[in-house]
Amino acid sequence: MNVNSTVTESLQSAAATLLSEGKVGVVIGYGRDAGASISHPMFIRKPEDAERLVFDDCCFGNLAVYLPRDKVRSMGKIGIVVKGCDLRAINVLLREHVVKRDDLVLIGVPCTGQGDPLLHKCSVCEQHNPEGCDMVVGDPVEQPAIDATQRYKDAASLDDKSLEERWAFWSGQLSKCIRCYACRNVCPLCYCKRCITEKTIPQWIDTSAHLRGNVAWNVARAFHLTGRCVGCGECERACPMDIPLGAINQKMAQLMDEWYGFHSGLSPDEKAPFTTFKVDDPETGIL
Amino acid sequence: MRSTNVDEQTLYTAQAGWLKSAVDILQGAGVDVMAPVETEPGVVELATVKSSEAVTLDYQNVRLPLKRLFFPITEVVLEFKSQPEGDVDVQSEPLVSETEVVVLGARPCGVAALEALDKVFHWDYDDVRYSARRARTTLISFACTRPDAQCFCTSVGGSPHNTTQSDVLVYLEENGQALMQVCSDKGAKFIEQLRDVVKPAPAGTQPPAPPEVKEKFDPAKAKAWLDEHFESDFWTEVALKCLGCGACSYLCPTCHCFDIVDEANWQAGQRRRNWDCCSHPMFTRHASGHNPRPDQASRCRQRIMHKFKYFPERFGQVACVGCGRCVRACCVGQNLVSILTDIESKAKGGDKADVASTLN
Repeated sequence: MNVNSTVTESLQSAAATLLSEGKVGVVIGYGRDAGASISHPMFIRKPEDAERLVFDDCCFGNLAVYLPRDKVRSMGKIGIVVKGCDLRAINVLLREHVVKRDDLVLIGVPCTGQGDPLLHKCSVCEQHNPEGCDMVVGDPVEQPAIDATQRYKDAASLDDKSLEERWAFWSGQLSKCIRCYACRNVCPLCYCKRCITEKTIPQWIDTSAHLRGNVAWNVARAFHLTGRCVGCGECERACPMDIPLGAINQKMAQLMDEWYGFHSGLSPDEKAPFTTFKVDDPETGIL
Repeated sequence: MRSTNVDEQTLYTAQAGWLKSAVDILQGAGVDVMAPVETEPGVVELATVKSSEAVTLDYQNVRLPLKRLFFPITEVVLEFKSQPEGDVDVQSEPLVSETEVVVLGARPCGVAALEALDKVFHWDYDDVRYSARRARTTLISFACTRPDAQCFCTSVGGSPHNTTQSDVLVYLEENGQALMQVCSDKGAKFIEQLRDVVKPAPAGTQPPAPPEVKEKFDPAKAKAWLDEHFESDFWTEVALKCLGCGACSYLCPTCHCFDIVDEANWQAGQRRRNWDCCSHPMFTRHASGHNPRPDQASRCRQRIMHKFKYFPERFGQVACVGCGRCVRACCVGQNLVSILTDIESKAKGGDKADVASTLN
């Protein structure tokens, strides 16, 4: 673990000020327990507790997942610590009118990447310095040039396979799914009050963990996230069965990129292809 | 499952190469042998093996809990088919096959968890599928040598050398030999099958000392607090961080809640029993729409109460073996150990004002 002490100190001070001045009711950030392998989500409601906030290279979680929650919203205006990648998810929540910008104070943290070795998403991240936040703590970091060919590398390696090989790969991977729905619950964009798997009249998606049900679930998940997923990678990190969900997400992002030149979550004002009507739509994306 | 007329301390030594012999002998006897196999890089699961070459001994624990062999993730309990004249033909799924199964290399914590499951599945109703699978299976546990920081078996009455529900506990030795402790009639039968490579240990032989696993909390003290705190702000605080995913329950060797679903087309279908989880909002939702556990706080409370209060009251033991899977699996660093530690400190009257370590 490498604590970024400059960011951490500025963050603690900013959070304490926001809370003591009553500008927010809660600051959602990261904390760290001794011996823990990750820095975990933390809800700070008193200025004197702000010193427990930390920013290091194990701040994996995407805190945007908490924004749609009634319990969190009931605390008042929300201050939230955002890395550039997390901000993309918040931009989608804003674009989809799930949260209001006025209800948030975005505390941006410059981030050179998470994990050792660096997570794949970090190695192709172009948002090391989050833009559009209410404040940024710590100094800007260098934004390295990104090798765009690497962005979809996991999806590309599967594209090289024949249809039969790809089916063999995915049926093997999806057979492992135990339907715990960790992928759904950690996803900041899976905010439906009632998921399609919980709709029983009719039961659209078989809930049994057999291949048919698992394929139906994972395909439904991909459909619902295409053009929305920002590639934060939380689903893959949460999956207790190590299913490479990142490859599915990359494929979604790759198609949106190729067909529409669209990268989800770069701005709260963006027009998402699947929710924007255009008279001259070439309809190449219609299945 | 367990016999009282077998001396638990009956020790045998197995010569190097015993594992290969065991797999071959059991295969020859028509037994389905399951053992730890590296199914993908860094991941070990119990799987059917045809030869000892597939077996890996380099594992901390298997990814999925042992319970899945007796209480599968999904199983068909009956099938139905529409008949002419509007009748429906209903066929119970045949009981599991009687082929004998020997599991080589389960971990003591996973096997000990079966004691809790046995009580549930033989409680007010004898679950014939569970019982049939238990009856046909012999459990040869490998003593735990690599407990990690997330393990806490000693906090809940276990040990890396726990023999509970094991038929044989095997202490592997670096030279390929092993010391075997027979714990049941089934275990004695296994030793008898291996008579060419196993012999009684010399008098005075002692099993090695177990590796240290730090005791982190006392379930009895936690229960005393739970008894008085069904209503407490503590649950709201604990639930704040919880995302309500089911990873902890699904990987738990003692969690046993299930859902019954019918899956059908117009002509035919199946009734299945699937793993379920008290963290999910649908778990207790009534047909009326009312949900007696309407929020994550009441669901988190249920998980802790069930394991450390209700289960002990009904069955005389906690529903936790300290395998640490829930701690490792939680993507928000929520920690069963820290929740119980906080509860224990509250029970001592220390009432940590801000329940800091759990909450945040």
